[in-house]
Amino acid sequence: MTAPPAAPTLEVRGLTRRFGGLVAVDDVSFAVQEGEIFGLIGPNGAGKTTLFNLVTGLTPPSAGALLHRGDDITGSPPHVVAQRGIARTFQNIRLFTNLSALGNVMIGRHIHTRSGLLPGVLGFPSSRAEEEAVRERALELLDLVGLRDRAQVRAGSFPYGDQRRLEIARALALEPRVLLLDEPAAGLNTNEKAGLSRFVRELRDRFDLTVLLIEHHVPLVMGLCDRIAVLEFGRLIAVGDPAAVRSDPAVVEAYLGEET
Amino acid sequence: MLLQQLVNGLAIGSVYAIFALGYTLVFSILRVINFAHGAVFTLGAYFTYLLIGARIGFNGLLAQSALPFGLPFWVAAVLGALLAGLVGVVIERLAFRPLRRRGADPLLTLVSSLGVAVALVNAIQYLVGAENYTYPPGALFGLPPAIDIGATGSPLPIRTTQIVIFAVSMVLVVLLTLFVNRTRTGKALRAVSEDADTARLLGIDVDRLILLTFFVSGVLGGFAGTLVGLSVSIAGPYFGIAFGLKGLAVIVLGGLGDIPGAVVGGLLIGVAESLVPSDVIAYRDAIAFVVLFVILLARPQGLLGRAAVQKV
Repeated sequence: MTAPPAAPTLEVRGLTRRFGGLVAVDDVSFAVQEGEIFGLIGPNGAGKTTLFNLVTGLTPPSAGALLHRGDDITGSPPHVVAQRGIARTFQNIRLFTNLSALGNVMIGRHIHTRSGLLPGVLGFPSSRAEEEAVRERALELLDLVGLRDRAQVRAGSFPYGDQRRLEIARALALEPRVLLLDEPAAGLNTNEKAGLSRFVRELRDRFDLTVLLIEHHVPLVMGLCDRIAVLEFGRLIAVGDPAAVRSDPAVVEAYLGEET
Repeated sequence: MLLQQLVNGLAIGSVYAIFALGYTLVFSILRVINFAHGAVFTLGAYFTYLLIGARIGFNGLLAQSALPFGLPFWVAAVLGALLAGLVGVVIERLAFRPLRRRGADPLLTLVSSLGVAVALVNAIQYLVGAENYTYPPGALFGLPPAIDIGATGSPLPIRTTQIVIFAVSMVLVVLLTLFVNRTRTGKALRAVSEDADTARLLGIDVDRLILLTFFVSGVLGGFAGTLVGLSVSIAGPYFGIAFGLKGLAVIVLGGLGDIPGAVVGGLLIGVAESLVPSDVIAYRDAIAFVVLFVILLARPQGLLGRAAVQKV
């Protein structure tokens, strides 16, 4: 079965989420193409993180549809979305703080492991070999984010920037095809911010990713993203390449106007 | 004499431990105490009683009936524990999951589990009456009832049952520890206990793991019921409720949600009880709670528990 190549990697159609009287995401539609780095910007409370929660299945939508490579995955629970290869990080980092850095990334390999209860309890060679392979892969990912030498350190004791990178390594352990980054630059210093753009592009090329990212830091978004969607009060007010979005009057008024 | 008491204490303490592990597993994942655990314990003991082909007494709907077959004791005990595990699964589906889906406060879930406990205990009483049951002698493959570890002239008999109970319980503790630490499912459980939503986003099917946890918890509880029935007797439908309170003391003492803590707490309370002088034996049950109270004054987070970490 060959889906028409035109099916976008991720598509939201009329996606809406109400919390009581508040419409956090209001009839939002856009499509993200394979290999794109797609930015999501907007003032605080515009519904960006809610949109991420909708896409990853954490929050069920009140209306609308969500499509992954042409398949309707609306209402799929988070673990099913993750198994389809959609991974994310959080704005307020959510690591397993009591586990080591390595432990965190190894948990990310869960869906790629198979060994059963009995072989695990009894320490069969098959189960140990799998464990070893998982560890090896996890160490590679830690290496990629520059944390390999601190693999055994408790994740909760890492400085902020390192925790962000560890969370990305854990998301990559899923071997996702789509990566959602929720404010990856928040709390990073100027140096780290400069490195981030290069790092995200590297990841996209190396792992054939499609990247969606929420970011407040406007210069970073403008320089990094292929296309940008702008949300305000839950509504999509513009979508297009950085130059077009920058000059869109609605955007200037709603958001960029205050910044520049 | 002291040594005998100590062995008794370790035996009952090891049963406290596996029972409390059932509490602790559910708590570590859902942050709520499953009060129906004591009733599952009772059910396990009765399941085993029925499966060995023993006859129900004169009261209850099933008076004077028995299964048409009788299984060897240990087969019945394992099967009875597995059935108790299935009861745990049903409890999760009926009393926990619907509330969780609606985002109910943990306190409501706790009350719901209390309701299940009362319903189960009443159902047992309705079916088999409130009398005392004991497993027929010879349950332990004809092992001698006691072995003498004393010197000639000063015999020191120790009940075989106590040794078997201790050994079996410790094997279960080791298996559970290996399960949690070594298997992919066990590791996923630990992730879920830290942050269920994040575990979901890493592809872990949390609802299935919760179901599994209730099953394992029920197996441990049901098996503990059979062991206590073997050691003393099945003291009517309510006997799991008092035991359940003791189990609460054990997990609070050890540190809520902590596996080694439940084991240490269980053994400690078992031994402390066994050292109560015989002239105040009527107050033995109070001992567990006195021990609990004193230790909590010094370590509010329990013996092995970590100081509470606020989740963000």
